[in-house]
Amino acid sequence: MTDQTHALELKQIRKSFGKVDVIHGIDLAIEEGEFVVFVGPSGCGKSTLLRLIAGLDDPTSGDILLQGKRVNGIPAAERGLSMVFQSYALYPHMNVRANLSFGLENMNMPRAEITQRVDDAARLLQIDQLMDRRPGQLSGGQRQRVAIGRAIVREPVIFLFDEPLSNLDAELRLQMRVEISNLHAQLGNTMIYVTHDQVEAMTMADRIVVLRGGRIEQMGKPLDLYNAPANKFVAGFIGAPQMNFLKGSLAGRTVTLDCGLTKEVPLAEEAQGPVTLGVRPEAIEVSLDGAGDAQVKVQNFEQLGAITYIYTAFDNGETLTVQLPRQIPLTRGQSIGIGIDPAHVHLFHGPEERALGMAR
Amino acid sequence: MSLAGSLMTGLMLAWVLGGTVWLLTTRTYRITQVGRFAMDLLGFPVELTQSLFGRGGVPYALLLPNMAIFGLFTFAPMILNFYVSFTGGSSIILFERPWVGWEKYGDIFSCENFLEPRTCENAGYNFFTGLYNTLWFVVIQVPIMCSVALLTAIVVNRDIKGRGFWRAMFFYPVMLSPVVIANIWNWVLHRKGVLNETLDGATGALNALAGLSGFDMVMTVSLAVILMVVTERALRSASEPSTAWTGVFAVILTLLTAWANPLSLLGLSGSFWLGLALGLFLVWLVASGKSAARTAIMGAAFLAAVMLLSIQFSTVFDLGSYRPNNWLVTPNTGWPFFWLVFVFCWSHMGFYMLILLAGLQAIPRDLYEAAKMDATRPWRAFTRITLPLVMPTLTVVIILSLIRSFQIFDEVYLLTGGGPGRETYMIVQNIYEVAFTDSSPDYGQAAAGSVLMAAIIAIFTFGQLWLTRRQSDL
Amino acid sequence: MTMPHGHSIPPGGPMRRLTRFLTRTSGRGDSAQGFGVTDVLAYSYLAFGVLIVLVPVLWTFFTSIKPERQVENFDTRLLPYSQIEEEIAGVGTRDLWIFDDGTGEEQLVFKAGPTRSVTDVATPENPDEVFGVPRETLEPLEEVRVAVENYLDPILKRNGQENFHFATYLFNSVFVTVVATLITLLINAMAGFALSKYRFRGRLTFTILIVATLLIPASIILVSLFFVVWSFGIFGSLWGVIIPAAATPTGVFLLRQYMLTIPDELLEAARMDAASEWRIFWRIIIPLSLPALSVLAILSVIWRWNDFLWPLIVLISDPSAHTLQLGLTQFAGEFNTDFHYILAMTVVTLLPITLVFVWLQRFITTGIATTGLK
Repeated sequence: MTDQTHALELKQIRKSFGKVDVIHGIDLAIEEGEFVVFVGPSGCGKSTLLRLIAGLDDPTSGDILLQGKRVNGIPAAERGLSMVFQSYALYPHMNVRANLSFGLENMNMPRAEITQRVDDAARLLQIDQLMDRRPGQLSGGQRQRVAIGRAIVREPVIFLFDEPLSNLDAELRLQMRVEISNLHAQLGNTMIYVTHDQVEAMTMADRIVVLRGGRIEQMGKPLDLYNAPANKFVAGFIGAPQMNFLKGSLAGRTVTLDCGLTKEVPLAEEAQGPVTLGVRPEAIEVSLDGAGDAQVKVQNFEQLGAITYIYTAFDNGETLTVQLPRQIPLTRGQSIGIGIDPAHVHLFHGPEERALGMAR
Repeated sequence: MSLAGSLMTGLMLAWVLGGTVWLLTTRTYRITQVGRFAMDLLGFPVELTQSLFGRGGVPYALLLPNMAIFGLFTFAPMILNFYVSFTGGSSIILFERPWVGWEKYGDIFSCENFLEPRTCENAGYNFFTGLYNTLWFVVIQVPIMCSVALLTAIVVNRDIKGRGFWRAMFFYPVMLSPVVIANIWNWVLHRKGVLNETLDGATGALNALAGLSGFDMVMTVSLAVILMVVTERALRSASEPSTAWTGVFAVILTLLTAWANPLSLLGLSGSFWLGLALGLFLVWLVASGKSAARTAIMGAAFLAAVMLLSIQFSTVFDLGSYRPNNWLVTPNTGWPFFWLVFVFCWSHMGFYMLILLAGLQAIPRDLYEAAKMDATRPWRAFTRITLPLVMPTLTVVIILSLIRSFQIFDEVYLLTGGGPGRETYMIVQNIYEVAFTDSSPDYGQAAAGSVLMAAIIAIFTFGQLWLTRRQSDL
Repeated sequence: MTMPHGHSIPPGGPMRRLTRFLTRTSGRGDSAQGFGVTDVLAYSYLAFGVLIVLVPVLWTFFTSIKPERQVENFDTRLLPYSQIEEEIAGVGTRDLWIFDDGTGEEQLVFKAGPTRSVTDVATPENPDEVFGVPRETLEPLEEVRVAVENYLDPILKRNGQENFHFATYLFNSVFVTVVATLITLLINAMAGFALSKYRFRGRLTFTILIVATLLIPASIILVSLFFVVWSFGIFGSLWGVIIPAAATPTGVFLLRQYMLTIPDELLEAARMDAASEWRIFWRIIIPLSLPALSVLAILSVIWRWNDFLWPLIVLISDPSAHTLQLGLTQFAGEFNTDFHYILAMTVVTLLPITLVFVWLQRFITTGIATTGLK
């Protein structure tokens, strides 16, 4: 722990609703200008964590420090943060301008400055033509921009986003993703972004925090998480299609899988016992003539042109998904040979299914 | 100035002055923000609470005015009622009232026979007369009004033209005040009023018709034709008889039975009720899809034909001269009570109809479409889909109308004044007169009456809630 | 149209066509095509019901514009007729009658003496030439005239009608209705907001208390409420009518139910926007609850405008504090025979609420049906 001040620091944050513990002691530090994404399945506590930071809820114990200052118990409005809500929470009875200026008016800001800030934000987000409309008259994407605009005008130290793209269709989501990234580049503010979609996390984040059951599973740069997941949960959560998991047992550096395959793995240290072997779909090679480590049966396949997904099964019923960056001729029920590169496998072991270190 | 007056003035001054000072010191307002300042000043106690106790104190501040009025003007009087009922005298200063224990209750329960108010002393006589009249009123009026409201709601809920118009029309009397309603009906029911006039005219016209030669013949033939057409329509559908046409058939059957008066052969009266029972039975048979329906209709048609032949229409329609009825004043006719029930339903039905309509509209249309695909009979659809699903709303309506009609006062007081005699003397009128119109008001007596009435209403309400405990959503 | 019987391809004879015509309506009420017998039954039921609702009110209205004499004679003709009078030289103002001597020739006359079986009459042109005619041959000469004096006399206090202080009553009624409705809306909305949007100790207790009040009839606390109101010193004043019933449980319940549907995120957004709780209440909650608030406003107006028993107890001793309802009761009680005035004032009393209803009926009925009590 250095005495350098972070933009945000959480110390042993716990939160319980009645008898239910939702957050179990989280420590986290976020630096100035960072784009941090909290990701995890629903119910993992990521939104609760965001609301604790925002000041909409108070933690049961632990400290929240903003720029080194403890802010527990300080009302949301006085923390200098702003938040974009999942449902946007635009005031339906006010027009866009009133929506943007409502907060500034509450802070008794001089009118000239309010106009200045609102106009700047509108120009930045290209919503200047919509200022007299009500939220009900806007499209999903426009509402999203207004919600972001409302966050911008307050010039916050940290932006909080609570699953802001989950109500948009796929195309708009892609577009807004890019825009939010650009906005971050333009404004340079610290942003904390909550999502359950790992693609959003991978594409936007400087740093990802993976949460499960109110605990941090792993945090780090997107590709670090992808290449070196700390445990089976993170490995399975990050990356699409999901990593393949095959059960087996380890003796020394040799894995014997239930499906019959035996593989030598470059482990840093020898170990014994039951393990799960993980291999990403793109790390598997296919040969149509049956050559390779093992034979699998093609159950289904999807030809996307540039990519081919093959869903296969071993004789013992375990399934294996393969992603090929090319087109190949396939029929259902056909037997193909697969090859697994030992340099790209992960081994998970123990009650928490932690990853075993590899010699790379 | 009264206690409350000076208190209120003090509070207002503190509010306005304190609020202005506090708001102006903690916030800045521009001249153009007078409106905002006024609203902030109005909510100054809430603002102050928030700044003193944080967000946790705000709901209490928000609840305070409402709960204070509830407490002072609803809960406190409820408790006070018990106290007052144990005190005597006519003083209106609470602590000057002497404690008399159970005396006031004793006065009420001074009867030899509780079912016979005549055997009570004065207080008990008035109370029990009012109580029994009110109970009668509730028992008769609530079922009638609820069924009429349900029927109307179902009809209005159908796919009919001008639904909004019908709904509004039935709701309109709810908007009228009891005084207006009483004046209107006093005028309509006056001895020389429009109702007597109309009945007189109708009687005259019927008499004139019946006096025509050949009237008997014409009536018999035309009724026979109608009967044939209706029977044919009712039986037409290949598999099952039509419910609606059976309904029309039942109406004709009822009329024929009433006119032919078959029970008079046995020396009994009440042929109309027999006909009504027959008709309803027939409708029920058809509606619930009983296999005997077809046979029953044919049997009833035969019966109707026989009765038709036996009727002498010239005597049926010869009503003699009509004697104008003094509807609201004539004792021992039951009319004043009848018109009370009628006027009460007339003026309140629309409200309950609207609530039931909301309940009906909450039933998804697909359910009926699914039922139609399953070839469900309308009656079955009503009893198995509509009734169970509208039951929670109906329970609310029954309880609300029960409480409402227990308290009937305005309409009685203005229409009949409790008369003739004590025929329409209701319990609230008893309380009102004992406490407020007597030359020596007996508040203790009235309070004791109120306590007893509260107990009876509670029994009724909880009884109803218990009976429908599964469906209630109160 | 599908024929229910397979064999009934009509042969086309005239009789056959007639029976088909007579019985053409589809027998099934639920059939999509045609106008079934259930529709006929439904519409007749509705028409009958509307007749029962409307006829008494319309009858009252039509009576209220009839001249005094027609009302006194219980003349049940629909239109207001009044007999034409004429100033006759040397005699004075007299009613005109039509005399029919049996030949079909009609003559305008006036009565020169008392009405007997043979009445003395004279023509206006020759007032001195009196002749006797049978009473039955005389018909009043009438014109249709709206008797505005039924309305104007009590309102303008003419013709001895000085006991109906219309302006005072109207002011009192409007004052009670408006002030009570405003107070009700404000404090009920505050309570509904607290109960729907905050978690706090005692929330359930408060909610149950309010639902319980929903079931407590007002008339069982009449006597002790009188004591409370008396000791507060507001007995006999309009405030004694306004305050006790301002906190309606129905209103709190209705608004609470409605406010539950306002998303919490809006409140949180407002909190992030530095709005105080009170400002959230009147800038966010109040505008968004307008549908429920207007339903409550309408209910409150109906209750207050039509309120009778409690004003009767509180205000009866002070005629200057009477509301329209009380004034009308007193008026009808004192002048039991002057039905033309009573009915005119009845119409005046029901007119404001009727106009409001006609203006807002769709809104009122759908509002109560969708928001009311559910």
